[in-house]
Amino acid sequence: MYQLNQVSKVFGGRTIAVDDLDLKVRRGEKLALIGPSGAGKTTLFRMLNLTIPPTSGTLLFDALNVSSLHGRRLREVRRRIGTVYQQHNLVPRLQVVHNVLSGRLGAWSIWRSVRSLIRPQEADLAYEALSQVGIPEKLYDRTETLSGGQQQRVAIARALVQNPEVILADEPVSSVDPALAAGIVKLLIELSETYRKTLIMNLHSVDLALAHFPRIIGLRDGKISFDLPAAEVTDEHLAVLYAGSQTEIGEEVPSLAELRPVRSCQPRLTT
Amino acid sequence: MPSYAPSAPASLALPRRHSSYFPVVFSVLFLLTFAGSYRLAQVQPLLLFDAEGRRNIWKFVAGMFPPDLSWSFLSLLGRPILETIQISIMGTVVAVAIGFPLGLLATSSLTFKGILNERELANSRPRVLLRKTSYLLARAALSLFRTIPEFIWAFMFVRAVGLGPFPGVLAIGIAYAGMLGKVYSEMLEHVNPGPLEALQATGASKLAIIVYGLMPQALPNVVSYTLYRWECAVRASAILGFVGAGGIGQQLEISMRMFDFSQVITLVAILFVMVAGVDALSARARRAILGRQRV
Ligand SMILES: Nc1ncnc2c1ncn2[C@@H]1O[C@H](COP(=O)(O)OP(=O)(O)O)[C@@H](O)[C@H]1O
Ligand SMILES: [Mg+2]
Repeated sequence: MYQLNQVSKVFGGRTIAVDDLDLKVRRGEKLALIGPSGAGKTTLFRMLNLTIPPTSGTLLFDALNVSSLHGRRLREVRRRIGTVYQQHNLVPRLQVVHNVLSGRLGAWSIWRSVRSLIRPQEADLAYEALSQVGIPEKLYDRTETLSGGQQQRVAIARALVQNPEVILADEPVSSVDPALAAGIVKLLIELSETYRKTLIMNLHSVDLALAHFPRIIGLRDGKISFDLPAAEVTDEHLAVLYAGSQTEIGEEVPSLAELRPVRSCQPRLTT
Repeated sequence: MPSYAPSAPASLALPRRHSSYFPVVFSVLFLLTFAGSYRLAQVQPLLLFDAEGRRNIWKFVAGMFPPDLSWSFLSLLGRPILETIQISIMGTVVAVAIGFPLGLLATSSLTFKGILNERELANSRPRVLLRKTSYLLARAALSLFRTIPEFIWAFMFVRAVGLGPFPGVLAIGIAYAGMLGKVYSEMLEHVNPGPLEALQATGASKLAIIVYGLMPQALPNVVSYTLYRWECAVRASAILGFVGAGGIGQQLEISMRMFDFSQVITLVAILFVMVAGVDALSARARRAILGRQRV
């Protein structure tokens, strides 16, 4: 499914987030990425879902070199990759149904997309996906009124509706109640098994990773520290992986950028 | 964090404040500018109180009372009042129609910067150049539109299309397009980019990202600012009458030219009621929108 050869990502010419990485992921595989905060996991995911390009190296998706793609062809490949984000990345003011159906935007024409905001197209699809994640009754609720765990389920439903070949889940449970975390991880695994999808997940919790994934990759300083079957991961591996890094709770919060005061003849702007 | 020699032991626990000379320098510059302007603009408050000024002001104020409420005058005003409202509405509509597309082009996070363009524009200098050019052109157009006051625009459009409300509509449309476009672009640039990134990752086109991610997030601010501009437009369309662009201002200009201050005071009162009415109306609309958001 994926083949990465010497892939690096450097930010601002200085910060090496991913360093000369080689990685192969087969179709249908389930693997967990673990590692300390700042190891480059999110950056790797954003390269895998074609949001940011590598600084160097080649990234093959399904044996296709994606580096030169743009426009429609790039969007078509993106459609085949679904992502679930740590912060859900839903549009708070939209109804749940629209957030779920936004997984279809890659397939719909712009007219259909606009029409759907007035009268939801394929609402049955959204309902089905929400049933899969256990909250069908929230179909027409405003997304921002849902709890964190429910919003994460909506984000998963969006990925289901997109019907991709790969699901990338970037710490999908780190902003969720720990009691619910295991449930959501299991849900993602079951769904990807049912629909035969490749699943790659970043996990903060080593226990969850070892308990549910056959293949574990430890990432540290942008490099692969180990790449082993779950059964072969020892405490020493983990000690090396997390050496010198305190496990932190609560990562970066999304900064809802505040509006700068707007200049006008008589400035008076409700924010 | 760099540690400096502690000068005040009391603040040891606090991070040191960086002090700089800029505030001082700017304060001095400001005072100098102010003093200079005071002289150059020939501000002479006493002029208001000398014999000539007192007489004129008295004539003006005394002439206002009693206000002209005769039916023969009021019956003239129905049409201009309606015209003023229509000019302000149509002008705002034109301003949105021009300002919104230009505002989108002038939004750097849409045209060439940030997460929505990083992959698309990687290793393609011509595409970057093209996007940057359209961005700069849109910004330049918006800035030209709004630096020329609506009064001057009206003056030019009256020459171009003749007297009447239409040049007023065009003047407000163009001048306000400049302001709306600029403000829209700032609002769009400051939405949370997370959802946009997620939409893009599903394979959504840029238009779809605008419709599903950008607009829903920016809509309350966009609507509220547009309504506010509409209030401004009511005020402005009163002035535009002075250069022959229709509306209540035209009547105001006639009455002033004829030194009929009793009519002027009536017109000003009507204008006040209109602006207050529009103000109340848009405040309600704003509350409705923003209130819904807080659910
Ligand atoms: N957009 C960015 N610009 C600059 N630096 C970044 C950016 N994204 C991530 N980094 C840096 O890259 C490194 C890896 O970050 P990240 O991929 O988020 O790690 P993880 O997800 O494993 O916590 C960090 O040092 C981070 O500061
Ligand atoms: Mg991360």
